[in-house]
Amino acid sequence: MRRAWKIYRLLAAQNLKRLMEYKADFLTGAISFLVDQAIGIAFIFIIFTQIPQLAGFTFEQIVFIYGFSQIPKGLDHLLADNLWCVGYFIVRKGDFDKYLTRPINPLFHVIAETFQVDAIGELVVGIGLIVYAAPNAGLHLSVWTILLSVIVIPFSALIYTSLKIMTSALAFWLKSSGFIIQMVYGMNEFSKYPTTIYSFPVRIFVTYIIPFAFTGYYPALYILTGNNPWFNIGGFLLSHFLSGTREYHHMKVPVHKIL
Amino acid sequence: MNKIRKRYVPFMKAGVQSLIIYRMNFLGFIIGGLIYCFVMFYLWRAVFDSNGGGMFLGFSMTDMVIYLFLSNTTSQLTFSSVSNDIGEEIKDGSIAMRLLKPVNTDLSYLFNELGGVLLKLVIFVIPMILGLEIYRYCVTGTIMFNAINFLLYVLSAILAYIISFRINLCFGFIAFYVKNLWGIGILKNSIIGFLSGSLIPLAFMPEVLRLCLEYMPFASMSYTPVMIYMGKYGAYEILFRLGIQVVWAVLLYGLSKLIWLGAIKKLCVQGG
Amino acid sequence: MIYAEHLRKEFKKIVKEPGLKGSFKALFKPKKEIVVAAQDISFHVPKGDILGFIGPNGAGKSTVIKMLTGILTPTSGECRINGKIPQNDRKKYVKEIGVVFGQRTQLWWDLPLQETYLVLKEIYEVDDAKFKKRMAFLNEVLELEKFIKSPVRTLSLGQRMRADIAASMLHSPKVLFLDEPTIGLDVVVKDNIRQAIMKINKEEQTTVILTTHDISDIELLCDRIVMIDKGKNVYDGSLHELRENFGQTRELVFEADDDSGLTEEQFRKSLKLGKEDLVIERDKNNFKVRFNSAKIPVGDMLSHTLSVTKVKDISVKDSDIEEIIRNLYRQGEVSDE
Repeated sequence: MRRAWKIYRLLAAQNLKRLMEYKADFLTGAISFLVDQAIGIAFIFIIFTQIPQLAGFTFEQIVFIYGFSQIPKGLDHLLADNLWCVGYFIVRKGDFDKYLTRPINPLFHVIAETFQVDAIGELVVGIGLIVYAAPNAGLHLSVWTILLSVIVIPFSALIYTSLKIMTSALAFWLKSSGFIIQMVYGMNEFSKYPTTIYSFPVRIFVTYIIPFAFTGYYPALYILTGNNPWFNIGGFLLSHFLSGTREYHHMKVPVHKIL
Repeated sequence: MNKIRKRYVPFMKAGVQSLIIYRMNFLGFIIGGLIYCFVMFYLWRAVFDSNGGGMFLGFSMTDMVIYLFLSNTTSQLTFSSVSNDIGEEIKDGSIAMRLLKPVNTDLSYLFNELGGVLLKLVIFVIPMILGLEIYRYCVTGTIMFNAINFLLYVLSAILAYIISFRINLCFGFIAFYVKNLWGIGILKNSIIGFLSGSLIPLAFMPEVLRLCLEYMPFASMSYTPVMIYMGKYGAYEILFRLGIQVVWAVLLYGLSKLIWLGAIKKLCVQGG
Repeated sequence: MIYAEHLRKEFKKIVKEPGLKGSFKALFKPKKEIVVAAQDISFHVPKGDILGFIGPNGAGKSTVIKMLTGILTPTSGECRINGKIPQNDRKKYVKEIGVVFGQRTQLWWDLPLQETYLVLKEIYEVDDAKFKKRMAFLNEVLELEKFIKSPVRTLSLGQRMRADIAASMLHSPKVLFLDEPTIGLDVVVKDNIRQAIMKINKEEQTTVILTTHDISDIELLCDRIVMIDKGKNVYDGSLHELRENFGQTRELVFEADDDSGLTEEQFRKSLKLGKEDLVIERDKNNFKVRFNSAKIPVGDMLSHTLSVTKVKDISVKDSDIEEIIRNLYRQGEVSDE
């Protein structure tokens, strides 16, 4: 464990060094995601110039949910971005061999290798929106809600990472699985808004099958209302452990059997 | 004409072939776009519900559905990846290979993509329009398909593609200065998504902003054809909008040529 | 040291019929075909040897290397390196080997070369004192100091290859796998790399397995060669033996004054040789006659030539290894048909 941490720090430091060399690229990346987010907010803003409430939520509350959903997304983006490359070309080009000739866990190695600072865009927007919306969103603040919602963030990020591990590992069978990652990942759009706006099957889908709703709406709802901690937080912990273990094996199987 | 055909058709064939080879990625993008449309659909439905149903800024929910899906489809149709292609070629130096071929460089890019555009029109856009019309029929009970509007839509979409192609051509040359093409791509797509009205109908934007955006080339890239298809414009306005598209196509043609000439010079200075 | 016993590797491949219909079929009712990348490969390498592992493209070389390095699991058969089965405890095993894939790099592309070594030091758990000593040794052998501070992407191909070999040697592996280490390099750089490999082998008794298409790599480096074709062993033995057994071909090179009557047909007829025993190549008046010295002694060949034509310049060359290997490949093809 300590060795893993040391290697991780070292690799992250390398990434930061690289960043210094390509400052302009870092800026374009971060600004791009910032603008992308800003446009999403402009969209909500324009809608709310016309209506006072959306599905029973005020502007601030919607912004709060939106902001909350961006933090786990940004965290996964920051730490596990290399999985995209696994799905798109590392396996196809045969570059995965490199990881298999090293005496550390290849999944850890591949994830540790990139530290994607572009994600600052999402994180800044997420935190900014929460700070902006919190005073007027009518939060249900207590030690518990704050504690649990902080705990929930890294686990929410793990939902993203797990789904990415699972879909990128499909490349071991399909050679390239970028499009599948793209499709599954794209469903995170659903996490930005209250699930109550969706029809029943969609709601079931984003809650139980591809549990993106647990990365944004449910935990945010818990802070907003203080209700149903077991479902909003606990349910998601369960889904995470289920998917987490499943994905890890998923990744392990092909490495040993297929390759 | 014959000469052009002979010289550029191979580029077109290569383009179609690579689209077929990467058809899964292509499918992924289409499905990704549709997922996005559905999220937006539910969001708008909630907006309409919160507004007490009925009309919202001159759009009915049915209009909104048509708008959402058709503008997404149209942006996919007019999407040009030429900025990426050029960017990659500049980065790995293979642009020199393209310059060595005895063909007009931007035409070779254009034909490379054109095959794919036609393919998308047939296997994606037309089924989508069919589906939307069936939806509209189920909701309203009347067939509202208008052949003239459809033809005008196709014409306007072609102009939209040309504009999109030229804009992307200009964007591609940024690769001379910036290495993070991927970030630039995200930036470009989200800016175009917003300014072209494929995210929010321009009609919903504040008056001043709307007027500005309607005259910018981005609106020509999906908003204009979709509005024409939906019959939101009268005959005079259609002509006017098409005129704006033509003007932009010509202006951007000139701009991309200028940048291209500048870029070639830079290429020579750098020694390839 | 290295034992490979009857290694076999099969892949399942989905066969797709052309066209859209074929794609659908492949999606719902995939037709699987088994591709045998390695059929039956056996060899062993004693400690400290350099083994040349050769064969034409698609013979299964890379598949075997990947099985030996623990990346692929054999369908049947077994390999043991240092008494370990690579797949059993991969992490432990790979600490004892170094791998270089000539076509790819394991260096971090955007970073100064030095940084790669620092990361690898941690990954392979090399302690500080050992690392220092090791870098000094590698520096000396591979001459890294000139570019160790430059970003990897700015290195030339030869520098990059040296850097890659150093990266694979950092943890003092007992076995070094080199998959086409001289590919794409110019003669001087190739020589440089060969010297380094030789030095490493000599000073550390590192066992080396090397695949290559460059015959001079083999001539200069390898004690022994294993040749495979179509997934099977074709030859296993020393280079010397190979020459003895298969190297009966000699080459007679001369420039003729007049070329009347100097055709393959006539040569064969008057010497009573078959097609496989005599081949003539000509470029204007320059002739190259390749013949089997087991069937016709060199002296007879010379006197015959001199009797039919006037020559300006004449010489006889020993069979070169490239020629032998080409013949062996060809034999493989024939027996296959």
